[in-house]
Amino acid sequence: MRSFPFTADVYFSLFETYNSAIWPAQLVAYGLGIVALVLAVRPLAAGARIVLAMLSAFWLWNGIAYHLMYFFQINFAALGFAVLFALQGVLFAAMAIGGRRDFRFQPDLIGWSGVLFCLFALVGYPLLGWIAGHGWPRAAAFGLAPAPTAIFTFGVLMMLEGRVPLYLAVIPLLWSLAGGSAAVFLLRVPEDWSLLLGGIVGFGLLVWKRRQQSTS
Amino acid sequence: MSDLTRRTFVGSVASLGATTTLPALGQGLASGPILKKAIPSTGEQIPVIGLGTWITFNVGGNEKLRAARAQVMQTFFDRGGSLIDSSPMYGSSEAVIGYGLARIRNKGALFSAGKVWTLLKAVGVSQMEASRKYWGVERFDLMQIHNLLDWSTHIVTLKEMKAQGRVRYIGITTSQGWRHDGLEQIMRTQPIDFVAFSYNVIDREVEERLLPLAAERGIAVIVNRPFQEGVLIERMMRHPLPSWAGEIDCANWAQFLLKFIVSHPAVTCVIPATRRVDHMEENMGALRGRLPDAKMRGRMARYAETV
Repeated sequence: MRSFPFTADVYFSLFETYNSAIWPAQLVAYGLGIVALVLAVRPLAAGARIVLAMLSAFWLWNGIAYHLMYFFQINFAALGFAVLFALQGVLFAAMAIGGRRDFRFQPDLIGWSGVLFCLFALVGYPLLGWIAGHGWPRAAAFGLAPAPTAIFTFGVLMMLEGRVPLYLAVIPLLWSLAGGSAAVFLLRVPEDWSLLLGGIVGFGLLVWKRRQQSTS
Repeated sequence: MSDLTRRTFVGSVASLGATTTLPALGQGLASGPILKKAIPSTGEQIPVIGLGTWITFNVGGNEKLRAARAQVMQTFFDRGGSLIDSSPMYGSSEAVIGYGLARIRNKGALFSAGKVWTLLKAVGVSQMEASRKYWGVERFDLMQIHNLLDWSTHIVTLKEMKAQGRVRYIGITTSQGWRHDGLEQIMRTQPIDFVAFSYNVIDREVEERLLPLAAERGIAVIVNRPFQEGVLIERMMRHPLPSWAGEIDCANWAQFLLKFIVSHPAVTCVIPATRRVDHMEENMGALRGRLPDAKMRGRMARYAETV
């Protein structure tokens, strides 16, 4: 049985409507994403607060604008996703306000993986979507659509200094598993294999990083 | 099912001569009066082919897709359809139905079948009112409790609404074989007009208990998911339509599958869902012509099992 409430065509037509409605927010989000990646790799004073505030903005936007105002039109479960994404935004906002965390890029497996995840979210994911026939304006835009936002978040968390607060990775992991598996297996969206696998690998790397720092 | 497959298949069958004796082959439409069945509780007659909206009408706010679904609805009414079924669970489907109803010509025959799908009485009342506004109707002809969710609460509300004339019929639904024991209990104890469940030429468990019970209790039966959400018809399409399908005025597999369902004496209506006008025309071809008798039904079932 194919008991899923909408088709892939409708899913991408929703992105088309959404992207048209929020233009040119996509350009702003890309700019913010590049700034966040630079600040995570080459930290400046107050840079961590700025990066965390940007992540907070991305997740809040996804929860309210994407899930609640658009995705909820075709999927009743989006109401729950909206709450979870908004909660993630609040968690990042609280960490930004707390101001006790910094970023420090380490040129090791975790550090480079973090950069790779971020670059993939910015460039690789939309490229895969374009190859799969889901190019602009039917694309899931960076920072404003859940999949690239979740992948980017894993990347940024890998560059966080000290013990990684795993609670910040739980909602991105849940989205990777739930959204990724639905997109891949029910809607046949090939680019979302990267969301599904990225969530599993990303969370695994964060757990590994945390254990490394516990033993060092 | 791929768009190309279903259309190509009809053409290929015609080229093989398997259905050359069928009337109006180009559109797969048989002639004759519209096939209707009576709702047991009142005797009101409704056409045996309705319109389901699960997945197919959930297109969000996209204007182009909404207009395409309105065209499907227009074809449905043009071909003699009446009953449209939807639910708040189907995302934007109710709003898309309302969009279509506001734009099509001959919607006077509409038999609106809504559902309540939530917990708690107050939320249910609010949901039904929201559905009514989405559809743009004065009242629903039929209001059903979807998937038995909080049915003991909503049945009280529905009885009140029926007594007040705010809904003409009440019912309860399930699908895909879920919770048949609970459904049977409700059918035995509650004064419902309609029941809905899944039934097709392969999944025939309901012939044992639920269909006979519906006939015994005078409950109208709506059959959902007649094509197993496309899986069954895709499977059938890999094989030629038997030449004897012409004896019951079937020009394609859709009509074969639908006529098997509506020819069961206890079935009132079947609600195939589609997003395409040409598929709607094929489906509505089952609304006319001869229906199989018991012997032919047995032949159809045996043939379906072999493919």
